[in-house]
Amino acid sequence: MTENTNETLYFHNARLICPASNRDDSGHVLVSDGKIIATGGGALDSLPEQASHIDCGGDILCPGLIDMRVQSRDPGAEHLENLSSLFAASIAGGVTSLVTLPGTDPVIDNAAMIDSLYLRAGRILGPNLYAYGAMTKALDGERLAELGMMAEAGAVGFANTKTSISDALLMRRIMTYAEMLNLPVIHHCADTALSAGTEMHEGATATRLGLIGAPAIAESIILERDLAIAELTAVHYHAAHISTAASVDALRRAKDKGIAVTADTAPPYFTLNEIAVSNYDTSFKLNPPLRSEADRLAILEGLSDGTIDAIASDHSPVSLDDKMQPFGIAASGATGLETLLPMTLQAVHNKSLSLIRAIEALTSAPATILGLAGGTLTEGAPADIIRINMNAGWVIDAQDLQSLCQITPFAGQPVQGRLTGCWVNGIDMHAQGETM
Amino acid sequence: MLLSNTKPASLSKRHILGIEGMPVHEMMGLLARASEFADHPKETFHDCLRGRTIVNLFYENSTRTRVSFEVAGKRLGASILNISVAGSSVKKGETLIDTATTLNAMHPDILVVRHNASGAPALLSQHIDAAIINAGDGRHEHPTQALLDALTIQRKFGQIAGLKIAICGDITNSRVARSNLLLLGSLGAELRFVSPSTLLPSAFDDMGVDCYTDLEAGIENCDIVMMLRLQQERMEGREVPSQHEYFHFFGLNAEKLHRAAPNAFVMHPGPMNRGVEIDSQIADDKLKSLIQTQVELGVAARMACLEAVAQHL
Repeated sequence: MTENTNETLYFHNARLICPASNRDDSGHVLVSDGKIIATGGGALDSLPEQASHIDCGGDILCPGLIDMRVQSRDPGAEHLENLSSLFAASIAGGVTSLVTLPGTDPVIDNAAMIDSLYLRAGRILGPNLYAYGAMTKALDGERLAELGMMAEAGAVGFANTKTSISDALLMRRIMTYAEMLNLPVIHHCADTALSAGTEMHEGATATRLGLIGAPAIAESIILERDLAIAELTAVHYHAAHISTAASVDALRRAKDKGIAVTADTAPPYFTLNEIAVSNYDTSFKLNPPLRSEADRLAILEGLSDGTIDAIASDHSPVSLDDKMQPFGIAASGATGLETLLPMTLQAVHNKSLSLIRAIEALTSAPATILGLAGGTLTEGAPADIIRINMNAGWVIDAQDLQSLCQITPFAGQPVQGRLTGCWVNGIDMHAQGETM
Repeated sequence: MLLSNTKPASLSKRHILGIEGMPVHEMMGLLARASEFADHPKETFHDCLRGRTIVNLFYENSTRTRVSFEVAGKRLGASILNISVAGSSVKKGETLIDTATTLNAMHPDILVVRHNASGAPALLSQHIDAAIINAGDGRHEHPTQALLDALTIQRKFGQIAGLKIAICGDITNSRVARSNLLLLGSLGAELRFVSPSTLLPSAFDDMGVDCYTDLEAGIENCDIVMMLRLQQERMEGREVPSQHEYFHFFGLNAEKLHRAAPNAFVMHPGPMNRGVEIDSQIADDKLKSLIQTQVELGVAARMACLEAVAQHL
């Protein structure tokens, strides 16, 4: 919703964290007409009249999260997630901007679908919504979609969903064309032959459980190929939900070489490993699958040193019916918007990730990758702001989730750090939620 | 009839396999001669090629080029044989060189060859005694098309040097673009290529051509906007998403043409795909379009080529 409020808001007594301006200090933020008009240390000397005071009580005030990998189910499967529930989940998770994947029914593979999505999202008060266009028509992995028309309609990049483009020539065409349009290509990397029919990560757990394993190289083989094509075409290539040590290594080499590559991962890949699957609990069935402990540690290291730029929720609503199946048959995916912040903060509390790096990966990094407004507390930026009480402890209860999909690998997880406020374009979304 | 203002063009080589390697004075000679032929569109010059045999060997479908060579040859007094692939032994599995050897035994003087493989005329030239004129080989060259294009431009503008010329469309698969780059570039035109990045080899950029992926920016202030069709027969099929999107971004219409110079002209080597690379309103605009003139001058350009090649016989 782009509607702005005329209200002037004065946030004070806050710990301001703005990775884009390398700020971590006690200070204030002044918001007017939906924009940040002043940010500074301490308190403001002279306040505009009629400003609403928000005493943050020492809480963190940082840019709202920008979630760059969200699968909506609207249109096509609104019973799994519709735009309203998606927006409610976003706001509950402190996500003030989200970027949706094209895997709806019909697929978002043409300008009219982008138009329609933006039009409908604009009618609901909630986070800013952006969309990726499908790389191929109907996500068939064969026919180039009308990328140019989608770019004109406002697509922020081109993506596949859970099936990699296996044809290297087609991938070259997509990247060459996207480079011309100056938009990034966002790819889920999994070699189709190596991952076909697999049920979890290949390793000791899979062997013990009698499940068919997908080797880690299924991801890195495609990533390495893509990086070579990205170098050839000079496109901005973005590797989505990276889950293996080999991929982190490949990304690091590519970045050292100067290839225009960025990457994201999701909380399950740096907080959980394959052992979580031991009880055949299908809420741990994700795509890519939970990997080995060595992979998890490599992902954390990659996040920490910036090899992996961003953290996305990988929100992927699935139906309970599809989950209440034998592990091998069950659908992969889980809700993610509302666990993105607390599970990332867990890595901060564990000292695996610095707070400012964590906030960067959730805000300014995705904003930079996709060229989106927001992700910063600097003057002139949209007032997309969240407030976090770092010390508040709570337990993730799946039933409390706003998403229509309440399947999460983090159910029952005790966490520390709670969202205490969320503003989009200066509008207090939590107050809106209470009055709705 | 005899032409009095010019002499037959003189070429240092026996064949016309391409524009590449042709000295500028030879290009100028061909254009000057062609222009004088063009001044007498109804005349015949039967003494030029009397008693000579021209074989039109076309491995690809063609209407305008084949007919143009045929008319040119006939106006110069030659006998013409048309061999098109559909009715030939090629369909029965004969190799290009075997066909050439067979034809060679019949002692033709000039072989006009079109082939879908780049370099096929060059290969033939090594196995046949006749002089070869390349009538288009794959993605390589189409020298007589470039000559007729240059002739059209020269007769319209008086000179080629200093003109801004944008060649727009499927550059990767275009022999017309390559021959025109060499010819018009050698004659002093400022050339630009406009194409989706998937149909624009980056090597052209390295060769010094100004390459654009935005049609309106590419034709800005140009004197000539030359449109090329999407060569589907040479495409793999996924270079562009759809004809719909292609026309939206790369199709020439009146509105986009406003970006070109005020007195700009539109050219097209044909065949045109209306609504794909060119809007009918532009294609049929007699004040802006030189497309019919190109076809007309094609005969004169080919007469000059045939006559020049015959000088070595």
